Amino acid sequence: MSTIKTLEDLNKAAKRGLESIIPSKTKIMVGMSTSGLASGAQEVYDALAAEIKKRKLDVVLCKTSAMGMDCIEPLVEVIQPNRPRLAYSRMTAKKVPEVINQVAKGVVDGFKPTYRMDEEDYLCLNEKKPYFKGPLPNDVKDIPTISNVDFYKKQVKIATRNCGMINFESIDEYVAKGGYFSLYKALTQMKPEQIIDEIIASGLRGRGGGGFPAGVKWQTCRRAHGDIKYVLCNGDEGDPGAYMDRSVMEGDPHSIIEGMIIGAFAIGATDGFIYVRNEYPLAVANLQRALDQARAYGFLGNNIFNSGFNFDIKIGKGAGAFVCGESTALMTSLEGKAGEPRAKYIHTVEYGLWNRPSNLNNVETWANVPAIISRGAKWFSSIGCKNNSGTKVFSLVGKVNNIGLVEVPMGIPLKDIIYEIGGGIPGGKKFKAVQTGGPSGGCIPKSLEDISVDFDALWEAGSMMGSGGMIVMDETTCMVDIARYFIDFLEFESCGKCVPCREGVMRMNEILHDICGGKGRPGDIELLESMSKGIVDGALCALGSTAPNPVLSTLKYFRDEYTAHVRDKKCPAGVCKALIRFSVSDEKCTGCGVCLKKCPTECISGEKKKTHVIDQTECIKCGVCKESCKFDAIIVE
Amino acid sequence: MEMVNITINGQKISAPAGITILKAAQQAGIDIPTLCNHPALSPTGACRVCVVEVEGQRTLITACTFPITDGLVIQTESPQVVKARKFILDMLFSERNHFCMYCQMSGDCELQNLGYRYGIDHWVFPTYTKGFPVDATRKYFLMEHNRCVLCGRCERACGTLVANHTLGLRNRGAKSMIHADANLTFGDSSCVSCGTCLQVCPTGALCDKRSAFMGRDEQTQHVKTTCSHCSVGCAMEIVTRGGNVMKILGDWDGAVNGGVLCQHGRFDPLYDERTRITSPLIRQKGKLVPANWDEALQVVAKRLGKADAKSIGVLASSNVTNEALYLLDKLFSKEMKVANVGLLNRAAPRLFEKPQGSLADIEKSDVILVVGADPVKDQPVASFLVKRTVDRGGRLIVVDGEDNGLAPFAYMHLPMADTGKAVEIAGRANNPVILYGTGAPEKTVNALKKLQGKAAFVALEQGTNTRAAVAFGFANGFKPSAVKTLFLLLGEQDGIGVEALEGIGKGAFIVVQASFASPLTEQADVVLPMAIWSERSGSLTNTEGRVQKVSKAVEPEGEAKADWEIISLLAEKMDKKLGASLEELSARATQNIK
Repeated sequence: MSTIKTLEDLNKAAKRGLESIIPSKTKIMVGMSTSGLASGAQEVYDALAAEIKKRKLDVVLCKTSAMGMDCIEPLVEVIQPNRPRLAYSRMTAKKVPEVINQVAKGVVDGFKPTYRMDEEDYLCLNEKKPYFKGPLPNDVKDIPTISNVDFYKKQVKIATRNCGMINFESIDEYVAKGGYFSLYKALTQMKPEQIIDEIIASGLRGRGGGGFPAGVKWQTCRRAHGDIKYVLCNGDEGDPGAYMDRSVMEGDPHSIIEGMIIGAFAIGATDGFIYVRNEYPLAVANLQRALDQARAYGFLGNNIFNSGFNFDIKIGKGAGAFVCGESTALMTSLEGKAGEPRAKYIHTVEYGLWNRPSNLNNVETWANVPAIISRGAKWFSSIGCKNNSGTKVFSLVGKVNNIGLVEVPMGIPLKDIIYEIGGGIPGGKKFKAVQTGGPSGGCIPKSLEDISVDFDALWEAGSMMGSGGMIVMDETTCMVDIARYFIDFLEFESCGKCVPCREGVMRMNEILHDICGGKGRPGDIELLESMSKGIVDGALCALGSTAPNPVLSTLKYFRDEYTAHVRDKKCPAGVCKALIRFSVSDEKCTGCGVCLKKCPTECISGEKKKTHVIDQTECIKCGVCKESCKFDAIIVE
Repeated sequence: MEMVNITINGQKISAPAGITILKAAQQAGIDIPTLCNHPALSPTGACRVCVVEVEGQRTLITACTFPITDGLVIQTESPQVVKARKFILDMLFSERNHFCMYCQMSGDCELQNLGYRYGIDHWVFPTYTKGFPVDATRKYFLMEHNRCVLCGRCERACGTLVANHTLGLRNRGAKSMIHADANLTFGDSSCVSCGTCLQVCPTGALCDKRSAFMGRDEQTQHVKTTCSHCSVGCAMEIVTRGGNVMKILGDWDGAVNGGVLCQHGRFDPLYDERTRITSPLIRQKGKLVPANWDEALQVVAKRLGKADAKSIGVLASSNVTNEALYLLDKLFSKEMKVANVGLLNRAAPRLFEKPQGSLADIEKSDVILVVGADPVKDQPVASFLVKRTVDRGGRLIVVDGEDNGLAPFAYMHLPMADTGKAVEIAGRANNPVILYGTGAPEKTVNALKKLQGKAAFVALEQGTNTRAAVAFGFANGFKPSAVKTLFLLLGEQDGIGVEALEGIGKGAFIVVQASFASPLTEQADVVLPMAIWSERSGSLTNTEGRVQKVSKAVEPEGEAKADWEIISLLAEKMDKKLGASLEELSARATQNIK
């Protein structure tokens, strides 16, 4: 690879990339990000390679990352000349010969793809390229296009624009999608102040949780004193159930790198660091490869695009402490010390890493930057809602049919995400609440399902955007138990530096354990409230001061559940084992004996065709009987 | 300095911009309680006890970290603040074992004081449910983790004051524990037992073994003095109760050490197991027998009065006061014209007539050259200053043998032959500082002189008062062969044996002025018992030439007397008029040293 210094060179790379994205022969792509690998993509990939070799087919087999819909992985996509792109979902090694058959014939018959794509969006270039010319082949007519799939219908992809679309190992494919053209534009046609003005005008707010306007932060950092400044990328995603940043780092690492270089130029930074948790081995590997490629092309290093601008990026690996996602703790950790937050009454944009001006943004924020530079602030601010422009990526998990990564315009109603994109609650159960913002976020109840999903509305509702975790809960979820779960997590992850978080969260956890264990005392709820106030007021860092949020927000909307636990010693959702009792309904039990056989402690007895009885002294409340009963005869109270 | 106007509790205050709320309040005489904060350490804002209400801020603010700006309106004891502090204290008291009456710090504990101040009269939460270990593996003090409040003062002191970085935090959250190195016992760790952590601990977590349970601070007396161990001259406080020394503390106002001491200064003097000489001794029929001062001094005076000045020799230890050295010089060299005087330890080569730097220059330097000196062994507190500078990015070049204690911290370690190279590098630095000692040969010393004017030079003298001894001419070479009468001012110096008498003819009359019985005193014809460091007043000159006071904290043991007092009495016996008040002597001695 020779370095790229001119637009001509860049165009050449783009041409190479385009030939590799849509080659003149058949191309098979396997989604090989962590979610794909976890569901068996490697096996499918190996089977495909073996089958192709066996049949001596002239086919390109390559890796891509997840496009978002993780519940249908492993995903195999086929691009053939003059045919739409086809996606085969829930692939297994066994299904491989059939797919290869279809590929060899060039016709779909039998095993059907889940959806098709007729054209590909080149967001940064503002154009759409069709996969085929002429009429749609007959055999694929009844396969829905991706825009007709509920999961994708309302999504708008900016930060995850290339995820699942390109081979993450190829820088040329990224360039072909318009990548590094924004960098070229920024470095050769724009002044740093212009870039900052553009970002301010776009209304881009930090996607790490705080929602601070990114452009304003850049400006403060640019104006801060000092010859040496840093730009940092926060890839220390630690919320349970959240994996937005991981997906971008794995699937489209160059978008982050390009964003950081543009940011560094605008701010006047000399060095960049990407802080990634080491539990993301694939993200680390892909970022490292991407950095090496960018360096080889001269996008990192000295005199980038002959502009005289020098900049390079290093990866800092974290040991996976939740608190290291907090800006000052992240910087302390990068400095090589134990990751503890510092009191930051002087902002990190002035005294950050090694006490030098440092601009920290998260993965998603950086990934948005190249798109804003290429398409302009006006375009970006036209997406989303007031004061919340653009999109937000969420990881939609929990009790919802379609699990996966979704990128939606800001301001979309919450119910659209849950019922349309998420496809509703499985098993016909009722939606109860959704937890947003990670452990230090809060729960939003069904009564607020019309809420606009944006920074300000979520904050008002007592939750927060956070980095974008979204955990859906149904009626069988006990909200006290959920609060306990998150407080448990936070107690474990408290760094221990300041007293309110170290001790307060631990004590709150003890009280919650007591409440869930049937040992709640009168006054416990009030004590939890006053402790929460003490922690909010007194904790050192943002993670500490938001730590009581799971309790505060569940208390706000589900106080009756707490009261039921403490006063009536009942768990309305039937979750807290110490407070529930399993019994058999006289009316519904048919005496089939299934529960009797399944019970692990053999505490169910009864003759055939007669109502069974549960021995309460032996019952461990595992719920197996309830799950196995076809007649809904097990009563939980 | 830009001054800003702020309001604390309704009181209008003008203070320098950028100082913390805590400092501004202290300057105005307003007391904001603290726990993790310590004046000698950088603030971290961990304990949250100093929270205050600041108008316009979303949450409470820690006074110890928040820099003031113009117009701040602060409440330090509002109901919200008091509630928050009580909440913190409730949690701290229940976190570990804070059953105060069983703790040796009871009455002197900062946590306990806060408890009284905010009326913590019961436990809100179940208390002390987890047991933590006690680490007593260190000789002088132990770590009782159950009384630790995780304020991190010890860790900061170890890292930033001593630059030893032994202490750190292990685990997370409520399971956090102070630990040494990679979780070694303290006794096995890289701990240098300087005791700085012990001195900054606000509770009874770090506990001095010797003084534990021997009384509360208010029952003790504190006497400010200067350490007599080495030539650095650390300021310290001797803490006594009922005429016994309980412990030694570093003096935070100390000009040289800023509160830090080393093991030899803080602990070793209290663990001295040598036998004291408690009365004058005279050899009779081959045996040393006790006598009174009058008899002993009479014998010495008579002998000296009869002797020819050329046959008298004087050997002095550097571990004595300026006043003693002054009188020794005055009596023997000036009055009796004795020329054969010597010093018991070697002195560093004299590079220049006038001092060309001070220890304070170390921390301002970017390159430190250590030549022929091992401060880790001989002047530990100076080594702390060097390591602190290395931590801040200063480059250390050690020109000395392989076993130099600073070698592990050095950027470059060179043999004496390569001094030229080291000088060249130091010459390119902005603020080089040269620390040299007795190990530097003449050739090396001449090479160092090239940096005159550019670098700061500090001689690291061995012994305590070597600089003064040199000023009084005691290091000019001693010829033992001619000596028929020897006056040996041994003082309390350890490690000097009979080899000091080598070359002195048999039958010579030997007078030893010493604090402890040793093989040397066994050889003496007269032994004059001398007071030790805690029992005498006077002054010492440190390696930079700084004259500092030492003060008597307890009465001398037995009939021992201060070093200078003995010589003064001897002079009186010999009818030489040298007697004067201590102040007068100090002034004269200081005059001579300068």
